[in-house]
Amino acid sequence: MHILLVEDDPDTAEFICAGLAQHNARVQHCNNAEQAMLSASATAFDVIIFDRLLPNMDGLDAVRVLRASKVRTPIIMLTALSDTADRVAGLEAGADDYLVKPFAFAELYARLKALARRQPLRSDTLELVYSELRLNRTSRRVYRAGKEIELMPKEYQILEYMMQNPEQLITKTMLLEQVWGFSFDPKTSLVQTHVSRLRNKLDKPFAFDMIKTIRGSGYLLMGSNDD
Amino acid sequence: MMISRYHLKHTAVLGGALWAALLLLLWLTGQLLVWQDKQAQQHEFEEFLSEIENALEEHGLDHVLQEFELEEDEIWPDSEAQAHLFDEGWLVALFKQERLLLGANTKLTATSTPQWHSVSLGEEGNVELLSASVNLPDNLQLHYWQKRDELHAHRAEFYSQITHWFALLSLPLILAAIAWLQYKRTRTLQALSEQLAQVAHSPDSKRTQVSTSNPDIVALSLAINRMLDEITRLHGNLKTMSVGIAHDLKTPLSRISNRLQSMVQDLDNPATLEGHIDKANNELAQVINTFNNLVRLNAIESGKHIQGFKTFDLSALIDELAQSYQPVFEDSGRRFEVSIVPAVHCHGDRDLLGQLICNLLENALEHSHSDAHVWLRLQSHTDSALLQIGDDGPGIPTGDQPKIFDKFYRADISRGRPGNGLGLSIVRAICDVHKAQLCLLEQQPGAVFNIEIPTRPARSD
Repeated sequence: MHILLVEDDPDTAEFICAGLAQHNARVQHCNNAEQAMLSASATAFDVIIFDRLLPNMDGLDAVRVLRASKVRTPIIMLTALSDTADRVAGLEAGADDYLVKPFAFAELYARLKALARRQPLRSDTLELVYSELRLNRTSRRVYRAGKEIELMPKEYQILEYMMQNPEQLITKTMLLEQVWGFSFDPKTSLVQTHVSRLRNKLDKPFAFDMIKTIRGSGYLLMGSNDD
Repeated sequence: MMISRYHLKHTAVLGGALWAALLLLLWLTGQLLVWQDKQAQQHEFEEFLSEIENALEEHGLDHVLQEFELEEDEIWPDSEAQAHLFDEGWLVALFKQERLLLGANTKLTATSTPQWHSVSLGEEGNVELLSASVNLPDNLQLHYWQKRDELHAHRAEFYSQITHWFALLSLPLILAAIAWLQYKRTRTLQALSEQLAQVAHSPDSKRTQVSTSNPDIVALSLAINRMLDEITRLHGNLKTMSVGIAHDLKTPLSRISNRLQSMVQDLDNPATLEGHIDKANNELAQVINTFNNLVRLNAIESGKHIQGFKTFDLSALIDELAQSYQPVFEDSGRRFEVSIVPAVHCHGDRDLLGQLICNLLENALEHSHSDAHVWLRLQSHTDSALLQIGDDGPGIPTGDQPKIFDKFYRADISRGRPGNGLGLSIVRAICDVHKAQLCLLEQQPGAVFNIEIPTRPARSD
């Protein structure tokens, strides 16, 4: 992945760069909006990470300018503001995702991967296929190894989202946003309960578990048993 | 007694104006009285003249001269005439065709009609005179002068004396009276200020009291007391909130601190180390969650979501949430019963109302018996939708009921559990921005919340 990081706080920037380096991503860092806009128009990045509060300029305005100048690179906004109204403002300005500081690096990386992969999947594929799994989006039927699995609506939505992002970490908050449309975090095990029910149907009767739990982070859809 | 510069100036201006006005009034009254007096004298003088005319007609000139005690052809020189006028108060001169027959040979003139005028009598100073010339038969002409008599002159002088004395004595009296009135008026206000200074030290206990019947000051005192009650309430909220924040942060932070110390001890043991990191992360997540909730609560209370309100299918939202929570309740061993009237639409923020329902369901999950019966109902009324979320026990202690919507308020028994006391505060804030009525039903075995959501958009405020 080739990533443009726009972040004025050196600590946060270092934290993100170090994390991305571990995942062998290439990062270009700049600490102001003007430079960021020049770089973004000059180079084709996979994803841009944009801090909301930058010196001299609101990140929102910078994103608006970028979108107006036909830069279509997926953008994830980082912000200290955790409110839905701000999130909506961010998305309306043209950002693709919105992450509230402080965040776990795993969460950021999972979202980056989802964003970077998003383009080819955007076209409405009628059938998602991954490993033994087959999901028909018109009939909303799911098969594993040719055997039909009956899912409740939320379980179906979770699986659909996982199949769009296979072998990638999917966090609890991503599921809350994508499946439930929540921008807040209900305290209990809402996500866990549904994932565990999905697992009972999807994994239990079969040879190996496709949904893996990454402790403290989220879930992963894997096509084979080896780690 | 302290009189401030402001009051001093005020007293001086007010007192001065009052004094000048009274003085003017007094002077005008004096002048009026003097004028009336002169008029009366003038009138008498005219009567006297007509009496002389009558006497001439009836008894002849000799009789009149006898009345005046004048000898025939007695003529007084000017100085004698003036002395006579001054001593006797009157002077007479009789002319025949401009020739003085008898009486005063004086420079004084006489007007044809009686009029007051002032003449200078040399050493004696100014004297006010009435004079007249009367035409008699046989070409005779009588000039008559009358000095203003002593009594009347004294009266006029008396008036001016009074005015002078008043001018002299009244000013300090008036100033003192105004100063006293002001002192009386400001004393209650000063007492109020002193009481307020004391209130500043203990706003919870002290209230203002006034010992005056002035309704304005009584009203002021009552208003201050009402304000103090409100401040006390807010202050109380703030205290609960600070204690809540301190508690909610201190517990996880001290656990994190412990974990950090353990990490140092277990540096050589990667597996244990990972465990510590996990636990510390979870604790930190709780701290961050508290802050996020606080920020969100603030944002909801600020009302900025109202601009984004849309009409949407409330029944569908609640149905979706109910289906999502059904397995959660099942797994926890509780019975979850749902009854929703379909196609109820309302005007609001879908995300916020979703959170409202989640928070109440979470509340039921957290605080009801492990085998409780929890229900969610949505009914449709004419202009509103009635949402009820309830459980059958153990409910909220009566004493805690009024406080459950306060920030960071938690019944003591649940202090030890994770989470913060913001869930129900957020519920209340969401109800407030939607102008929805929220109440906790009384006399119930469990906690039953009724929320009446207006289904028509409120007229723009």
